[in-house]
Amino acid sequence: MAKLDKGLLEALAERSRERPITAFNGVVRFDVRDGERVEEWYLTIAKGVVSVSRKGGEPDSVLAGDVATFEAVLSGRANAMAALLRGALDAQGRIVLLTALQRLFPGSPGAEGSPTAGYARRQS
Amino acid sequence: MSADVKILDGNTFVVSDESGDIEASLTDPTGLFSFDTRFLSRWILTIDGQRLNPLSVDDLQYFETRFFLVPGTGTVYIDAKLSVIRQRAVGGGFHEELTILNHDDKPVDLTVRVEAGCDFADLFEVKDDLKKQGEYYTSVDNGRLVLGYRHETYVRETWVSATEACAVDEGALTFAVHVEPHEQWSTDLHVAIARDATGTTSGRPKYERKTKKARPNMELSLDKWLDDAPSLDCDWDSLKRTYRRSLVDLAALRFSPPSLPGHYLPAAGLPWFMTMFGRDSIFTSLQALPFASELARTTLAALGLWQGSRHDDFRDEDPGRILHEMRFGEMTAFEERPHSPYYGSVDATPLYVVLLDEYERWTGDAKLVRALETHARAALAWIDDYADLQGNGYIAYQRRNEKTGLENQCWKDSWDSISYRDGRLPGFPRATCELQGYAYDAKVRGARLARTVWRDPAFAERLEKEAADLKRRFNRDFWVEDGEYYAIAVEADGSKVDALASNNGHLLWSGIVDKSKAKAVARHLMSPAMYSGWGVRTLAEGQGRYNPIGYHVGTIWPYDNSFIAWGLRRYGFKEEAARIAAGILDAAEFFEGRLPEAFGGYERELTKYPVQYPTSCSPQAWSTGAPLLLLRTMLGLEPSGDDLIVNPALPAGIGRLELLDIPGRWGRRDAFGRGRVDVKSRPRRRAQLGVIKPERKKT
Repeated sequence: MAKLDKGLLEALAERSRERPITAFNGVVRFDVRDGERVEEWYLTIAKGVVSVSRKGGEPDSVLAGDVATFEAVLSGRANAMAALLRGALDAQGRIVLLTALQRLFPGSPGAEGSPTAGYARRQS
Repeated sequence: MSADVKILDGNTFVVSDESGDIEASLTDPTGLFSFDTRFLSRWILTIDGQRLNPLSVDDLQYFETRFFLVPGTGTVYIDAKLSVIRQRAVGGGFHEELTILNHDDKPVDLTVRVEAGCDFADLFEVKDDLKKQGEYYTSVDNGRLVLGYRHETYVRETWVSATEACAVDEGALTFAVHVEPHEQWSTDLHVAIARDATGTTSGRPKYERKTKKARPNMELSLDKWLDDAPSLDCDWDSLKRTYRRSLVDLAALRFSPPSLPGHYLPAAGLPWFMTMFGRDSIFTSLQALPFASELARTTLAALGLWQGSRHDDFRDEDPGRILHEMRFGEMTAFEERPHSPYYGSVDATPLYVVLLDEYERWTGDAKLVRALETHARAALAWIDDYADLQGNGYIAYQRRNEKTGLENQCWKDSWDSISYRDGRLPGFPRATCELQGYAYDAKVRGARLARTVWRDPAFAERLEKEAADLKRRFNRDFWVEDGEYYAIAVEADGSKVDALASNNGHLLWSGIVDKSKAKAVARHLMSPAMYSGWGVRTLAEGQGRYNPIGYHVGTIWPYDNSFIAWGLRRYGFKEEAARIAAGILDAAEFFEGRLPEAFGGYERELTKYPVQYPTSCSPQAWSTGAPLLLLRTMLGLEPSGDDLIVNPALPAGIGRLELLDIPGRWGRRDAFGRGRVDVKSRPRRRAQLGVIKPERKKT
C-alpha cells in the first residue's frame, strides 16, 4: 500500500525552520488518500515554523488528495495551486493558512533560477 | 458582437447583447464568467419562437441591469401588445427576473423558452481560440438543467432553474404561460455556478447558502464605498462626473482573492483582466491611496502571501519576487499556462516596497509594515540577488519560460515597445530605465521603513548607500548626452537604447533624476514631440517606431500620464503637472468620465477629440485611478509626518476645487484650490479646460 513519504514532510518542516512563514499560527491537516484509505498528517504551524505529526487537534484547514498528487507537490514536480484548480487537491477551512504554507513547497527540480550574486553587495 | 452590456461582482461577470441574450462563439468574450472560466455561453429568450427586440437598457448598478424588450424583430413597426422585462443581477452566478406584461384587452397564451448552454471556455482559450480537451455533459435533475464539463479531475458545473413551473430539456427551459388582459406573469431564473475552482465539493450554488437570489456581496455596498471616500465639489461639472465615475468603477473592479475573503484589491480590468496583477494592483492602489487605502492594504497582504519562495522556470519564479498575474482557468489548472501564479514581471517587486512605504506615509499603519517586514526585505534582496541579469547592478529581465512566459516584463510589454531611436530592437536581457528608478525608490523608501518602523539603522544605511550609488551610476549610464534625456534601456554591453519615451516621466516620479537634469527631462515631456495636447505620448514623435496608434509606441495612456504628473510635481514643475492633468481630464469628458486604457497620440488640434485605442478592456483599473492621482497632484497633497500638506496648482479652467474629508493618519482633512495655471483656454464645442500649446523645443 502506497504511503506518503514522510521525508517529504520533514523536508518541508526543515525549510520552515530555515525560513519561517511569517506570523502564521494554526493547524493544517493533510488527508492523503490511497484508494479508500485516508492517512492523516497534522502540520502544526507556530510562528511560521512547521512541525509534523500523525495526531493533532481540530485543524484550521484541510488539504485532501491522493498520495501521488501530494508526493508530486511536496517534491516540486507539480504545482499546488494548479492541482487545486484541477480538482486533484481539495482545500477547506482557512485558505490563507494553506496559501502561506504553499510557499514552503519546493521549486521545480532542475530549475536554474537566476541568482546574480548581488551587484550592490559585491561592491560594498 | 453587437453593443455589449456588462455587469460584474468581483471576478464574476456577465456580458450580453442589448436584449440580454448571450450567443457566444469561442472567440467572443460574451457570457457568464467566473474565475477566468465561462459558465454560460448560450442564453436566449424567445416568445412563441421569436427573439425579442430591445427598447432600452437601464444600468441600475454595476452588478445589476434591466432590459426592456418587445417581441418581434421588425425594424419599422413594433406591435407592443406585450412587453418583457429582464432584470439581471450578478453574484455567484446570476439571477434574472423575467416579467411579461400583457397590454391587450384579451388574454394571451405564450410559449416562453430560455435556451441555455455552455462551452466552459478558459479565458485564455477565448483570447487565443483554442480547443477543449475534456467532455461535456448535460442532465435534467430535480427540475433543473445541469450543464457540465469534465477533464480528468477538473469539473465545472452550471445549474439553471426557475421558480415557475416549466419543462426542462437538455437545452432549454420552456414555460407555457397564460396572461390575463392587463396582467403580468413573472418567473425568477437562477443561473448558479455550482462547481468552480473554490467550492468543488459543495455541490450547491454559492448564493443559495445565504439568500434566494444571486446578488453581490453585501460587504461591497456601493453607498458605503462612496460615503467613505472624500467628497469633491467643483465648479467644473465634468470633473465631478469623472470623479464619481472613477469611484464607482473602482468599486466594481474590487476583487477578493480566495485567500483573503472579505478583503478587496483592485483587479486590472474588464473583461480580460478580472484578477490579481502585481503591477496593475500596485499602481492602482498607489493612485487610490488618498481615497481608499484599503485597496493598498489588501494588495500588500495578498501579494505578500504569494511572494515567490523558490526557483521555478516555468513560472519565472525566484525567492522574493512579486507575482505578475494569477489565473484560475483550465489551462492554468493543467499547467499549459504558468499563471498559478506567474511571476514574469520585474517592476512589481520594487514597486511592492514603494507601495508599502507610501501606504504607511498616508495611513500610519505601522502594524502592517511590521507584519510584512520579511516580505519587504525579501523583495529588496531580490533586486540585487535575482534581477541583475546583466551583471552591472541594474534590474533587467529575460524570461526563463521561453514558450508561454512574457518576453517584455515591464509595463510596456508589447514586442516593439523597447527600441533604439532608429527603430532597432535591443537584445535580452533588457534593463529599461524606469525599473532603475523603481529600484532606487524602493531602496530609499525601504531605508525609511528600516529606520522608523523596523528599527534597523544598519540596514537603512546600507540601502541608502546602495541607492546613492545606483543614482550616480544611472545618471551616467542612461543619460543620452546629445538628446538630454534618459535612454529607454541599456543593453548588457552598455549600449544605450536611445529612444525618447514617456518612461522619463516615471524617472521623475522615482526621484532618481539628478536635479541638474530634471529641467531638460520636463522640457522633453512637454515638447511637441511628446505632448499632444491631451497627454504625453508613450514614444516621442520622430522616433523610428513612432505610431500614434501603436500600443506602446505613440498612444497616450492616462495611467502613465498620472505618474508623469506626479513626477513633475516631485521636481517642482507644478504648472507642467497641471497641464498634464488638464489634458487628461478634458479627455475624460469625451468618455463620460471613464478613461480608456489608451488613446491615439494624434495632436489635439488635429482630431479635436481623443481617439480611443481599439481595446476591449474597459473599465481598466489604472485608467480608473488616473483621475484620482491627478486630483492628488493638482492639489499637491503630500503627507508630512502626521499632517497633510496641500499645495494646489490647478488649471485656470477650474475656478474652485474642494476635496473634503481626505482620510489618513491625520484623521480627516479638507483641501481647497483655485485655478491659476493658464492652460491657454479657447472656445470649443464644449467646455474644456483648454488646449495646451506644447512648449517649443530649444534646439
